[in-house]
Amino acid sequence: MIFELDNVELYFKNKRILNGIYLKAETGKVTAILGINGCGKSSLLNIAFGNLKPKYMLIRLDNKPLLKPLYKTKLVKYLSQYNFIPNGMKLSLVFNLYNIDWDNFIKDFDSFSEYKHARFRGLSGGERRLVETYIILKAKSEIVILDEPFSHLAPLHIERVKQLITEEKEQKIIIISDHMYRHIIDSSDTIYLLQNGTTKKIEQLTELEDYKYLSEESL
Amino acid sequence: MQRFLAILAFYKPFVVWSFIVTAIIGFFNPHLVPAIITKLFLTVFAWYFVSETSNRRKLTFYKNLGISPLKLFSAMFIVDCILTIGFLIIFKEFT
Repeated sequence: MIFELDNVELYFKNKRILNGIYLKAETGKVTAILGINGCGKSSLLNIAFGNLKPKYMLIRLDNKPLLKPLYKTKLVKYLSQYNFIPNGMKLSLVFNLYNIDWDNFIKDFDSFSEYKHARFRGLSGGERRLVETYIILKAKSEIVILDEPFSHLAPLHIERVKQLITEEKEQKIIIISDHMYRHIIDSSDTIYLLQNGTTKKIEQLTELEDYKYLSEESL
Repeated sequence: MQRFLAILAFYKPFVVWSFIVTAIIGFFNPHLVPAIITKLFLTVFAWYFVSETSNRRKLTFYKNLGISPLKLFSAMFIVDCILTIGFLIIFKEFT
């Protein structure tokens, strides 16, 4: 499957946030979006998912225009920047609703074994993030959108999440955004830099320095 | 079935409030039409409240399951109406 997001124009009141966006992602590849704080990365991912309605936008799936929000196709799972699982919900119910095997999760993250019947609010910030990231990556879908999946995670868990991304990309389109650029560079196949409201496809990593996203000698 | 369970999970925090409203309706005017109209108004208000506050973030959970806000609140209204009608019928039997 090929996912294209084209011609996005987003305004907040009279301020133009995004214009002339183009992004292409395909099955088998991890497509990353990098950019400084406030450049519109999360807004772009929200637009792609269907949470935010811009002034203009065109989504194409396999070259066919999509005329409804992407989430209504049931092809997509979206990890938002904020916690999206209701606080009072038990983890067993969440895994059941998303049709994910709890035992497989415990094989990967055995420290969670005692939490099966715990409510989401009972977990720490990092644990919540890990559960959400795992669910979004493992649930049945064609497209996975990850907004800051590495935030709040312990280094060991970050490595496991990167492995999961590599495993899942074989059958899925993965679009990812995070400030931890080294992990993003490790995990991704295609990188777009979001700057001045537009996307630039990065062909060589040194361009990230040329565009002043990274300081000299950062790579 | 999973999606229906998800909708019930969304409805759960509203159950007690809904029951209190139904009890008040039952006490003052135990007729079905005004009760359903009241519940419709309250459902629209709940939708507005969720959409206009930080609670709208929780809608992402349901959107990930392919459930739009329209479907979510419509299903919640139907479930609520069924419970309200059941309660009012029982209430009338004892008054």
